[in-house]
Amino acid sequence: MRILIAEDDLDTAEFVERGLVEIGHTATVVANGSEAWMRLSTEEFDIAILDRMLPALDGVSIVRRLRAAEIQTPVVILTALGRINDRVEGLEAGADDYLVKPFAFSELAARVAAVGRRKPIQSQPTRLEYRGIEIDLLRREVRRDGTAIVLQPREFRVLEELMNEGGKIVTRTMLLERVWNYHFDPRTNIVETHISHLRAKLNEGGKPDAIETVRGVGYRMSDRA
Amino acid sequence: MPRWRSSAAYRIAFTNFVAFAAGLALLGVVVFAVMHIAFMRELDSTISDEAQTLVDEYKVGGSRELKEAIAEREMVTSPTRMMYAVYAPDGRRIAGSLNSPRPSLGIHDITFVDPHEGPDSARGIGIDVSRGERLLVADDREWIERIDATVIGVFVIAFLAACGVAFGGALVLGGYLQRRLHAISRSAEAIIGGDIRTRVPVSNSHDEFDQVAATLNRMLDRIEGLLENLRQVSSDIAHDLRTPLARLRNSLERGLADKGDANHAAAVLEDALQRVDEVLSLFAAILRIAEVESGETIRLFKLVDVSELVTGLVESYGAAIEESGRTLVSSIEPDLVVIGDSELLAQAAINLIENAQQHTPAGTLIRLTAVSAGPHVCIQVADTGPGIPKREFSRVVKRFARLDRSRSTSGYGLGLSLVGAIAKLHGGQLQLKDLDPGLSAIIELPATSQTSP
Repeated sequence: MRILIAEDDLDTAEFVERGLVEIGHTATVVANGSEAWMRLSTEEFDIAILDRMLPALDGVSIVRRLRAAEIQTPVVILTALGRINDRVEGLEAGADDYLVKPFAFSELAARVAAVGRRKPIQSQPTRLEYRGIEIDLLRREVRRDGTAIVLQPREFRVLEELMNEGGKIVTRTMLLERVWNYHFDPRTNIVETHISHLRAKLNEGGKPDAIETVRGVGYRMSDRA
Repeated sequence: MPRWRSSAAYRIAFTNFVAFAAGLALLGVVVFAVMHIAFMRELDSTISDEAQTLVDEYKVGGSRELKEAIAEREMVTSPTRMMYAVYAPDGRRIAGSLNSPRPSLGIHDITFVDPHEGPDSARGIGIDVSRGERLLVADDREWIERIDATVIGVFVIAFLAACGVAFGGALVLGGYLQRRLHAISRSAEAIIGGDIRTRVPVSNSHDEFDQVAATLNRMLDRIEGLLENLRQVSSDIAHDLRTPLARLRNSLERGLADKGDANHAAAVLEDALQRVDEVLSLFAAILRIAEVESGETIRLFKLVDVSELVTGLVESYGAAIEESGRTLVSSIEPDLVVIGDSELLAQAAINLIENAQQHTPAGTLIRLTAVSAGPHVCIQVADTGPGIPKREFSRVVKRFARLDRSRSTSGYGLGLSLVGAIAKLHGGQLQLKDLDPGLSAIIELPATSQTSP
């Protein structure tokens, strides 16, 4: 994917750029807000990663301008400010995701992948299917190889998120944010508990593991299933 | 000598003094005027009585009798002696020694020539004793003037004496006010100079100055407490940072020592990353408390269904708690609604649940309750663990407070302090209760009706 990185801190910019290039993206780095706005309004990018605080024009203002100009390039905002107000403001301005610094690169990579793949709202599916596992989002039903599986509401939501990403990594933080709406890190690993219960239910009867754990990063639907 | 002009204390005292002197002077003038007018009236009635007596003499003995009576009266030498004259119709003075032209009728001021002092004025009455003969009885008011002079003299002396006393009083009052104010100002200077423990002196008189001093002292106590808290928190942060940073340093140093082994280097880096994350999570917790305490999230408040929120917590945490060997039971009333931030409320409840899980032995029963209690909605987390000694209640809700026995477990002692801050942000409070055995923590929130967001 073609990604624009607007970040005035050179270390962070290099860290993000190198990481994205390593996993096969094309990255363009700019160091101030007006340049970012100029590039985004004249060139095609698949994703923009904007720092919240940039010289000349801040990240949130860039998103507002983009959306006002009906440019729908997906935007991930990076910020050193973890405050609730800032997050709400960023998302209300039209950003697609919001990541608080410092972050693990794998976290950013997973979010970039998810944001880049996000489908338009109109075509939200009512059914998801991945390697023998089917879920019906309207009737809240899950089947594996035709066998119905009963899940707790939150287990169902976890599975839905994993299925939505279609085999790509969903990080623990993404699950906390999306399933629980928690933007903090509880000491108890409730994600791990839910994954293990979900996994046990999906794998019942000696089936191959449906969920793969990516150590230190998150989870994804397993290819081998 | 104090600076008079710039001193409000002296200005007040002297304004008071000037008002007092003006009032005293006005009193003197009024008393004098009333007295003077009364004496003048008295004089008028005296001369008119005298004139009437002489008219009566005339009626009895005619012109000769009148002249004799006048001559007899003029023989007397007394300061209150009156002056007399009788005039013929053509204006000639035919009796009496008063050297004045023929007067008109009635009481009025006249002028006459005093044989010793020359022209003078007097109060006189003109009255006809017969057709054409007119009697003038006059008094030169000398006695009234003497009384006036005496009264004025006495008053001026008394006035000056009173002003002297009042001036002295003003000096004393001004000095007193200035001294009391200076005491406050001196204490403030001492505090500015660095001695935060200085307090404004309070006397035993319980007056306004003492009230102000006591209020200032309470304010200073509060400020000192906050400063102390800040100092404590700073040193706690520094202390709590040292541990993970020291471990980080150790593992990096070890990694550097045997750099040949790639597997080991990776393990070292992974370990280092984990240590750094610990430090970062400490900062996140501190910043989150500061954010909550600043109150800036209030504008994002919405209706929060507490029943649903707590039910969700039971679903999310039930399994994890079971796996840790403890039991979670819950009782949740339906339709509990508050105005707030659902994520912060969840975080507060989660902190309580996690405390109940981490600081209790396996086998502990954890009870999660959401109930409506009068004007409040209460989220309660009770456990059957060892609890917290009652005397520690006020301490454990402070930042970085940890009981000695929990030193070994993870966490920075910020959990309850965050819960308290969140409860306060929502207009509620965190209450701890000793269940003996066990601890009950209650987040008490103001309830709201579903219809008024």
